[in-house]
Amino acid sequence: MDYPADQILLARLRVSEQKAYRELVATYQGAMRAVAFAIVGSRNADEVVQDAWLAVVRNLDGFQGRSSLKTWLLTITANTAKTRLKGNRREVLLDDIPSPHGTVGDERFHGDGHWLLAPHAWHHDSPEALLTEEELRECLERTLASLSELQGSVLHLREREGLELDEICNLLQVSLSNVRVLLHRARLKVFATLEHFEETGQC
Amino acid sequence: MLSCKELVAHSSEYIDGQMKLRRRLSVRMHLAMCVNCRRFIKQLRLSQAVLRRLPRGQSAESDELAAKLAEVHRQQH
Repeated sequence: MDYPADQILLARLRVSEQKAYRELVATYQGAMRAVAFAIVGSRNADEVVQDAWLAVVRNLDGFQGRSSLKTWLLTITANTAKTRLKGNRREVLLDDIPSPHGTVGDERFHGDGHWLLAPHAWHHDSPEALLTEEELRECLERTLASLSELQGSVLHLREREGLELDEICNLLQVSLSNVRVLLHRARLKVFATLEHFEETGQC
Repeated sequence: MLSCKELVAHSSEYIDGQMKLRRRLSVRMHLAMCVNCRRFIKQLRLSQAVLRRLPRGQSAESDELAAKLAEVHRQQH
C-alpha cells in the first residue's frame, strides 16, 4: 500500500474507534465542504457533505487504498454533489465580484507596464506576526466571504488543503485555465487586503 | 523584456511552479533587477502563508458528526 498513514487511520476506522472518526472529520471536513460549495453552492453544501460522509462510512470496509484517503473522500463528495445537481450544472463565472479592498489592478501601473504604485514594505514579515492582529483576521475573513463560491473553494483547496491544480480541475470539472484565473484573482484580492491593512492599520 | 505588470499577471503561475523554463528564466531575470517586483512576490507568498495558517473552525458540531459516523459504522456490523 502506498499510503501508510492512511492505512493506520483506516484500520482504526474499521473497528469503529470514535477518536479515529474525530480525526477523520477534523482533517477532511474543510476540504469536503469546499468541494461541495463549489459544485452545489452554499445552500445545499451542508446536506451534500452529510450524504458524502454517510457514503464514506458505508464504503469504508471496501476501500482498497489505491488512492489516498483524501482523494477518495473528495471524489465521493464531488460525485454526491454532481448527483444532487442532476445536470443543472451552473456556468463557471469568471466575472469578478468586487472585493472589499479591491485587487492589484491596472491603475497600479504606468502605461509602459512599470509600477506606478509599487508595494510598500510591510511591518509584519511572518504569517504568525500578521495573524496576531485580530482585526486583520476578521478583515481577511470578510474578503474570503466576498469571493464567489467557486472562487473561494478553488482558493481554499489550493492554499489551505494543498491540492494540485489538476486535482482541483478534475474534482470540480473546471478547466485548468479557468482554475488558474480564479486562483490568481483570488490571491490578488487577499494580497490587497493584507496590503491595505499594513498601510492603514485598519480594515 | 517582461514588464512589472506582466510579471504580476503571471505571478500565480510562477509561485505554483507551473511556468515553462523560458518564461521562468525571464521572471528570474526581472526579479534580479527589480526591487518592487521582488517585494511583490515576497508579499504574495506571505499572503499565501497567512491563508494556510488561518485557524480552522473546530466546532462541537464536528465532534457530534464524528460520534454519529462511528455509530453508523458500528451498526453495519
